[in-house]
Amino acid sequence: MTQRLKHIAPNVVAGVWLAMGLLTAQAVSAEEKTEATAQPESTLQSVSVSAPMVKGTLPVDDPNAAVWNSATLSRFPMSPQVHWPNRILEATVRDLNVRALHDGTNVAILLEYADPSEDPDDAAAIEFMVGDKKAHFAHGQPMAQVEGGPVNIWYWKNKDAKGVDMNAKGFGTLSVQQHQDVKAKGAYANGTWKVVFTRPLATGHLDEDAQITTGGFVNIAFAVWDGKKDASGELKEKGSQKAVSSWWYFRAEAPPDYSGYYYAALAVGLALGFQFILIRKLKKGQSA
Amino acid sequence: MGGSLLKPVILIGIVYAILKFIVPNIPGSAPLPSSLIFLYLMLTTSGIVIFATLSGESKDAFWGPIQRFLTGENIGGLQVLRYGVLLLFPLIVGWQTYNSTATSDAPPSENRTIHPAPPGEYTGLSNPVAKTPDSIQQGKGFYAAFCSPCHGGNFDGKGPAARGFNPPPANFSDPTTIAMLQESYLFWRIKKGGVGLPIEGMPWKSAMPRWEVELPDEWIWKIIMGEYDGAHQSPRTWE
Repeated sequence: MTQRLKHIAPNVVAGVWLAMGLLTAQAVSAEEKTEATAQPESTLQSVSVSAPMVKGTLPVDDPNAAVWNSATLSRFPMSPQVHWPNRILEATVRDLNVRALHDGTNVAILLEYADPSEDPDDAAAIEFMVGDKKAHFAHGQPMAQVEGGPVNIWYWKNKDAKGVDMNAKGFGTLSVQQHQDVKAKGAYANGTWKVVFTRPLATGHLDEDAQITTGGFVNIAFAVWDGKKDASGELKEKGSQKAVSSWWYFRAEAPPDYSGYYYAALAVGLALGFQFILIRKLKKGQSA
Repeated sequence: MGGSLLKPVILIGIVYAILKFIVPNIPGSAPLPSSLIFLYLMLTTSGIVIFATLSGESKDAFWGPIQRFLTGENIGGLQVLRYGVLLLFPLIVGWQTYNSTATSDAPPSENRTIHPAPPGEYTGLSNPVAKTPDSIQQGKGFYAAFCSPCHGGNFDGKGPAARGFNPPPANFSDPTTIAMLQESYLFWRIKKGGVGLPIEGMPWKSAMPRWEVELPDEWIWKIIMGEYDGAHQSPRTWE
């Protein structure tokens, strides 16, 4: 009995050791993975907007279409614009919900936010950097030590009921582009604005328009104006007096990529082959 | 017999426990990244293998059981465990490969320097305003009007206008902000604002106004005094 136990014990230890080694290697790399991705999530509400690719037509005129639910909801906090006069210290809109879709040719971005009243001067905008140069989130304000680029602004106002394609490089330089590529449509119901902006992913105007390539991240920021009038008839928020967000990220998702599965299958095959050869070699060695 | 394998297992277990639970608790130390722990465990393992294969006898005692386990000869009830290992190994390799080749959903990571070096002309400036209770009080008044909407009435960076900004407004009561800096540094940051930062400070993300266009220098120096006093911090000095 002890003889048999003596014989088995080392085998048990060897087996446990092998299994432990495999599991440790696995656990270590899994831990690494979560450490890398968990950080931004815990400190912020969202850091990016991801636009999945949809088949069929984009809901460019319908902020209530069911297909919007296939996009992940991103949520960004808003602040009053304080960077530059004329500033405001309190803005109506405090949070902005964003969803986005693309069909390989056009991108559609849905902004959704609470606003207690529908007013003709209610407005919303999306901002991107243009080209490779960094641009300050406040209208591409000039920076002292960094050469900045322009921003591309997609603007919508309730009473105009259309999208406007604009550029700016600092406050006071806002200009409407010659070629208008942006469409926008707003719908107000139950104290909530839903505004859809649409544009081709790529335009020919590299110096003026943000270019969106699938799979890549670009910077995005938002602004909202509450067009309500106060007792004296003045607009509550207008021009530089608005709710703004910081720069976040936007990505139009690339078509699904299955290559990871092929590589995994190949690796499994190689590992099996290695095992087979190893054991065969060991068995030969033992009998010899 | 089993000892030649059992000892290494125990040794590796002890090394892991030391690296994971004891080292982080040594004063002045920090938790080790798991990749480093893994590296140390690999080093320990190779040391053990070298030691165990020094003589033919110890080599047999070390490899023998592993060989018998892998080939499955005379291991009785352990066959199930052996098949488990043989199945688990290719699956883990496949899983690892999938994880490392699959495209990442995470946006680019950003390493922003929070307190980059100021331009030369600002280093060593001293506050020209006499530190009197009156100037401090005035400075606190200016702070309340111009700074507190973002940096907070309690100097904690949690003003009502702060919520949307990333990076968030500095928390002056935190000992790692103005307590580490000289008054001249604050003068630069208030005067030139977020757009005055060098590239490593990512000026395009900062909402800090360029106060030089709105406030005279004297007000800025008084604000600095009020800020330190209100946040119960002192400026860093050369002494």
